Amino acid sequence: MPLLIAAQKLRDTLQLKEFEIKSTYASDNNCFKRVKFDSGFLVNHLNSDLSTILSQNSTIFIKSYGNGTLATPSFRGTTAQHTQVEWNGINLNSPMLGQVDLSHIPVSQFDGLEIYYGAAGISNTSGAFGGVINLVTNPDWNNRLDFLVMQSIASFNTYTTNVNVVAGTSSFQSHTKFNYSASSNKFPYYNDFLQETVHQQSASFSLFGMSEELFWKLKDKHLLSLKFRYNQDDQNLPPTASNYSTNHVEKLNSKDLFAVLDYKLVEKKYNLLIRAGFANQKMHYRLDSTFDEFHQYDQWINKNRFTYTGIRNLSIKAGIDFTYDQVMSDGYDGMKTRITTSFYTEINYNIGKKVKTSLVIRDDLINGTFLPLVPALGFEFLPWNKTDLSFTLNLARNGRYPTLNDLFWTIGGNPDLKPEKNYSVELGCNFRQKSKEGKFSIEMNLTGYYSWIYQMITWLPASSNSTLWQPENIDEVWARGLEAGANFKWEIHHFTFSFDNNYNFCHSTYQKASSTYDHKIGKQLIYTPVHTLNSTLSIERWKFYLNYNFCYVSGRFTAKDNLSYMPGYTLSNIILGKNIGLNKFVLSLQIQINNLFDLDYQSLADRPMPGINYAFTLKFALPSIYRQ
Amino acid sequence: MKKNISNIYRLALLCSIFAITIFNFSCSKDPIREQIVDPPDTTPTPQTYENGFFVVNEGNYNWGNASVTYIENKSNTLIQDIFKKSNNRSLGDVAESMKIARNLGYLVINNSNRIEVVSLKDFKSVSTITGLNSPRFLEIVDSNKAYVTNLQKNVSIIDLQTNTISGTIPINGWTENMIMYDKYMLVTSIGIFSEPSSNRRSQILVIDTRTDAIVDSIQTGKEPIGIVFDKKQKVWVLCSGGFDNFEVPTLIRINPELRLVEKTFTFPDLTEVPSRLCINPTNDTIYFLKNGVFQMPVSASALPVEPLVSPAGRLFYGLAIHPVTGHIYVSDAKDYVQNGTVYQYNATGALIRQNTVGRIPGAFCFTKNSTK
Repeated sequence: MPLLIAAQKLRDTLQLKEFEIKSTYASDNNCFKRVKFDSGFLVNHLNSDLSTILSQNSTIFIKSYGNGTLATPSFRGTTAQHTQVEWNGINLNSPMLGQVDLSHIPVSQFDGLEIYYGAAGISNTSGAFGGVINLVTNPDWNNRLDFLVMQSIASFNTYTTNVNVVAGTSSFQSHTKFNYSASSNKFPYYNDFLQETVHQQSASFSLFGMSEELFWKLKDKHLLSLKFRYNQDDQNLPPTASNYSTNHVEKLNSKDLFAVLDYKLVEKKYNLLIRAGFANQKMHYRLDSTFDEFHQYDQWINKNRFTYTGIRNLSIKAGIDFTYDQVMSDGYDGMKTRITTSFYTEINYNIGKKVKTSLVIRDDLINGTFLPLVPALGFEFLPWNKTDLSFTLNLARNGRYPTLNDLFWTIGGNPDLKPEKNYSVELGCNFRQKSKEGKFSIEMNLTGYYSWIYQMITWLPASSNSTLWQPENIDEVWARGLEAGANFKWEIHHFTFSFDNNYNFCHSTYQKASSTYDHKIGKQLIYTPVHTLNSTLSIERWKFYLNYNFCYVSGRFTAKDNLSYMPGYTLSNIILGKNIGLNKFVLSLQIQINNLFDLDYQSLADRPMPGINYAFTLKFALPSIYRQ
Repeated sequence: MKKNISNIYRLALLCSIFAITIFNFSCSKDPIREQIVDPPDTTPTPQTYENGFFVVNEGNYNWGNASVTYIENKSNTLIQDIFKKSNNRSLGDVAESMKIARNLGYLVINNSNRIEVVSLKDFKSVSTITGLNSPRFLEIVDSNKAYVTNLQKNVSIIDLQTNTISGTIPINGWTENMIMYDKYMLVTSIGIFSEPSSNRRSQILVIDTRTDAIVDSIQTGKEPIGIVFDKKQKVWVLCSGGFDNFEVPTLIRINPELRLVEKTFTFPDLTEVPSRLCINPTNDTIYFLKNGVFQMPVSASALPVEPLVSPAGRLFYGLAIHPVTGHIYVSDAKDYVQNGTVYQYNATGALIRQNTVGRIPGAFCFTKNSTK
């Protein structure tokens, strides 16, 4: 096989499509904002975790507690609990905490990433006021057998290994993936408290994961898939800088299992999706001799979707979802369960070629009580036929039920909590253009949002007992902002340049004080940056690729009266790689430099982050063996 | 025309790359650390810190933002975060309490497991005592020795001449407040921190300060958190009833000579938990927090019903009675995620002044000269 083709095959193996990193997700309705990262984008980041790629390439703010430890996402001026992370339609947010740790979701475990902003998430779930991050795995129905072995060696004794085997025919596909990463994570940092440079203590981790995905296709009509994902995670949680100690003992061990079985029937005028899922998470937390706690949850999921497209310009979806949660926790008084039934309808109607409309209505029935109706109404207007310019408008009401910890944690849980309420409006504008010969393309979008959260749940010290913290429906938050994106791609003299930019302005403020002595009205939410910007410049030529990423996060307030803050910072990261064809194999070498300018920074107060660090990755692929 | 348009895009692309590059290189390369926009200080650094009082701001657990605010009423001086200003480093994580001995300030930093010893003159660090087990409070035995209670394992013995740990008294669990009686240190002992109240042994430990040995114990209600002496040489102990609302809170009076509980006052509610037991300079009136500030003569036959100072939406967290004037100093920690306020009332509950201080003001420490 000629080298060139071999290299091309490698890219097939990795499902690398074009150079395009992101494109607005063209789904059945565009009235809501959805952004998709395809596998081509992920391919250079296989040794990273989800928190890294989101913080570098989207305006989602990642609250990072340190290198390789807890990282939670938030967007549009909301919190991590208003962000839902899904894997193939299965919720990864723990029903206990209502949030997800992104630092331990390896990029190698999914093929694509979809971000649903604000009301776009209502199609998937209620309660995600910020949005939904969906991790997807997809078959491409190529007849082949591929192997990929990847080894990465990085600073602070960090090793990452990936093995992927993809096999299949045009009617059956199997994806098998293994990943293992381990790190001693003793990065040096300047400790202000001790006034000397020390090495981070007790921050080592090891993460093992495997996934198996099977896909069947029968007569282009029946689609069946079975996916499962298992992760085992052993983390030492590091001390804060001012609590630095060489004998700090804080450990978190977790084991997660997710499985999902999908059946899809595709007919001319309708299709049907039936999904059954199961999730199990076991967690063991220890802190010195003071805490030793076990938590476990099991979740059974059933989702049913019926879509009818028999009438011109109209598509109607109806669905019913069941979720059963069962939690055993040392933090609870006995076992707690929750049964959620969701009724869902979506109507998309096109008025001529220029106007598209969408109405989504969802209602959740939790333990026998109906939550307020969750409706979303969207419009898309395409005024010109020849110019790819569209305007969108959507309005939504949403609600979030308290987490099980909010309700049942002993001591403090408040069973009288009411659901949070959210009203939002969003206006968007999207523009796309390609030069005639297709060598230059541009994609731009601008979105403004305005959202109110009522009865927001906040844990506060109780007035009756200053040592007791309790959640209350106390806060009112007004979030408004602008998101702007501009992506360019330019091919010239066999060079390919692409330049992707995202900017987010977010003013999210407390609108209600708990007393006249409370100085938070009109102040920005803590740990919510006002400005976020990231840019990635990529250049490709001679099978070399160079990727320069830069992100800016503005100051984050650390006090509700906004009298203390973490200053803003910019980070730069570089990836340089080359794909080399070697007889029947393809070898890829990649060097990655993170925090290029060695900035001494903290994202969260008192949580040290590493300075300049490196990763060297070797990828070895046996490209497709076609069995035609 | 078409060509012109795409040239404009190309130009836009190059300009934006250029702008981003400039932006990147123009950004500050200073270390990114939490910055505090303190309420402005009234004066530059004073000549000495020996004439006022200190507000110990705990700071948030695991945020490393503890601080000390210095207030001098006579000259209307207020200086925030004096430790950082004098030592160019932060005080640490969760400053629990402060005590003065031999003209040195002893700042007990709970989650940083250390005691910062500072000179009262300039608040510069003299010594740092490390190796403690989540220290809580320091109490002076004599000019050579002090005890420090810990959340775990033991009571530490501090040599005040060298400012080092000279020994430990093993205790299974959490010890909190202390008071000297004759040659004995009475120590409130709550039990094992990680256990629920039902499994915790709550008692007053009697330590012979000559031998550093536990010689006796007195059973109390769950979670004895405060201990004071009155003018009749009786010991009062406030028991919160347990973090898990195990039992109704109690206030008990102990005869330290006989080491017996003489009287128990039972609070009316399980969930309204009192804290911060204090006594006035004449040792005849005790004070505590229970949402508001409560006042109770030691001769009273029942617990007070109405607060002397009602909270009116504030979250009272720290309480101290000035050892000379008897004025009430109470702090409002608000929602713990913003600056607190300290209020000064006279003994009859009239507001004298208020000051904005740091995050979660919990403890006070008065110098000898802070009489006004």
